[in-house]
Amino acid sequence: MEYKTVKKEAPGRGEVEVLAETYEPGEPEAEAAGRWRQKLENRDEKLKYLKNGERYWYSDDWFGSEKRKNPA
Amino acid sequence: MPDEKQAKSIDPATLEMLAKASEENISTVFDRADKLKACPIGADGSCCKNCAMGPCRVPPPKGKEETPKEKAARVGVCGATAETISARNFCRMIAAGSASHSDHGRRVVEAFKLMAEGKTKDFEIKDEQKLLKLALDMGVPIGERSNMEIALDIAKICEAEFGRQEGELYFIKNAPLKRQEIWRKLGVVPRGIDREVVELMHRTHTGVDQDYRNLMLQGVRAALADGWGGSMIATEIQDVMFGTPTPTLSEINLGVLKEDMVNVIIHGHEPALAEMLAVESENPEMVAYARSKGAAGINLAGMCCTANEILMRHGVPIAGNYLQQELAIITGAVDAMVVDVQCIMQGLLEVSRCFHTRLINTDNRAKITGAEYMPFDELHPKDSARAIIKAAIDNFPNRRDNVRIPHIKQSLIAGFSHETINYLLGGLFRASYRPLNDNIINGRIRGLAGVVGCNNARTTHDSAHVTMIKELLKNDVLVLSTGCAAMAAAKAGLMVPESAAKFCGPGLAEVCETVGIPPVLHLGSCVDNSRILIAATAVVKDGGLGDDISDLPAAGAAPEWMSEKAIAIGQYFVASGVYTVFGTTFPTMGSKEFTNHLFKDMEEMYGGKWDFQPDPVRAAQLMIAHIDKKRKALGIDKARERVLYDMAMRRELEG
Repeated sequence: MEYKTVKKEAPGRGEVEVLAETYEPGEPEAEAAGRWRQKLENRDEKLKYLKNGERYWYSDDWFGSEKRKNPA
Repeated sequence: MPDEKQAKSIDPATLEMLAKASEENISTVFDRADKLKACPIGADGSCCKNCAMGPCRVPPPKGKEETPKEKAARVGVCGATAETISARNFCRMIAAGSASHSDHGRRVVEAFKLMAEGKTKDFEIKDEQKLLKLALDMGVPIGERSNMEIALDIAKICEAEFGRQEGELYFIKNAPLKRQEIWRKLGVVPRGIDREVVELMHRTHTGVDQDYRNLMLQGVRAALADGWGGSMIATEIQDVMFGTPTPTLSEINLGVLKEDMVNVIIHGHEPALAEMLAVESENPEMVAYARSKGAAGINLAGMCCTANEILMRHGVPIAGNYLQQELAIITGAVDAMVVDVQCIMQGLLEVSRCFHTRLINTDNRAKITGAEYMPFDELHPKDSARAIIKAAIDNFPNRRDNVRIPHIKQSLIAGFSHETINYLLGGLFRASYRPLNDNIINGRIRGLAGVVGCNNARTTHDSAHVTMIKELLKNDVLVLSTGCAAMAAAKAGLMVPESAAKFCGPGLAEVCETVGIPPVLHLGSCVDNSRILIAATAVVKDGGLGDDISDLPAAGAAPEWMSEKAIAIGQYFVASGVYTVFGTTFPTMGSKEFTNHLFKDMEEMYGGKWDFQPDPVRAAQLMIAHIDKKRKALGIDKARERVLYDMAMRRELEG
């Protein structure tokens, strides 16, 4: 999924590129209503989502509340 | 069980059809429950029929305390004590329940393997992400391999999970780390699904395990093999093949049947055929064929857990839950009732004979004497579905003039898988359970409750489910539901977002309105209770609410349970650390010691325990008291002043 970015002035650093809104405008219609899995378009995006969205199980370096222990 | 005459149902559609049944002199499960009194000795688990020296009945004395002498004499012919008999009966229920869910999972894996081998073209991978998730779970290489190559590896591993002889099931690693440690310490981690069920059946054979504590260790192992094994495999593989559920708007109750359309009801538990029926019922050729017979179209509706499966994925409406299966036929408008496995009453045949309805068996594991058999061919599932739809259409002209469909139905939103909850609360950018945890910590949500399970003709249909859930909502407890319990809640209008303002306490209502969710989340069929385990684990892993499921302000209940699957589910909830209350009746009451083991000792062992309370309001209050106990243990039982620490205060803290 392509994230939108915007350029903004940062104090002392001039113009920087930052992440824009991550929500989608308006209401989904028809097939898109309630269906979100298809927004991830390829395997890399899906794996990336798993490592982020399901990070407590699939991230290599973050085990959430259990990070002090060995990974499951 | 209360002696006074109870209302048969709180559902007006059910009552309307019961009146029609009475007018037409048709016997239903409700009438049979009235006429056939339950055996009190069997209901309390005090009858042993595991060998031909029995059955031995060992009920406790009624209305008085047992003397030690009486207790010593209360044994079977072989000398088995009431405790051993009760534990064996309970364990056999776990074994049957686990076997049922797991065999469901096995069939799904078989279909999945056929698809991965390219032997059937009708099934496909609908959720690649879930496939990748399973590959990560099972250590299957991903790389540039095709989905089918990955799927075949996963299918082989899942298949092997059933027959595995040693080690640990893969999905055990999905549980919180502390929970895994507890299971390992107690030696209850399942080695293989079939092995645990078989060993439990062996141990409950006459003359084998004679220590109820030891028996229950294996009972727990078999139950865990269901919840974190067979059921979880079923859920996960179904999601890969049929799609992970997402919120879907639909309708429920007998009013979803249509007078001018061919009505096909798919009833049972496994979704493979139902998926194909959902596709074929919209096939223009089939629709045209229906029109050629005078119908306006084809109306597919669900019953029981097959209904939950196709509701969650296709929005197919639900005609009713377990106790409504005969009543659907009594409308006179059902052209075919298609059944697979589990919870299918043999009484359906007699009822269908009073109407034109074709009762169609589709699974070779479950036949009804006298019903039609149209086997589901897993190699050609679409052909099977088409043949069944055609049979229903051909039957449409045979409808008689005694059609009466209650004009009662209710909107609902279903489809709250763990993945969807995670997405709803954080979006694609940062999917998260954090908002849920924060709202539990800040007290807007007091706790979580899983209200699941069947209907039972010995209690008022749907009443305990709805009463309990309303009491929980009023007290700001968010409810997760599956199976027939979910359908009861939906019929009562509790699965639409607007119900939050009507039924919830102010905190829960605020959260539901903000997120836009109903206060009762429909998580699917009874195998999908595995979704509740994963959701609970996600709450733990997100942090702030302890480091185990047993630390969570959460409880489980099955207020109208009846099947052995419910006992298996209850036991894996308890063994996963959940306080679990059952209603209706409890099958170990004949043994005080064994019941104490389930109701008290288990809390020390697993952090969760069983309880029994037939009054749904009091049961909800027990759940709330447990939730409050856990909130207190976590230190989130009262509002605390927020202090912004300055550097000096931080230094002091570090020192």
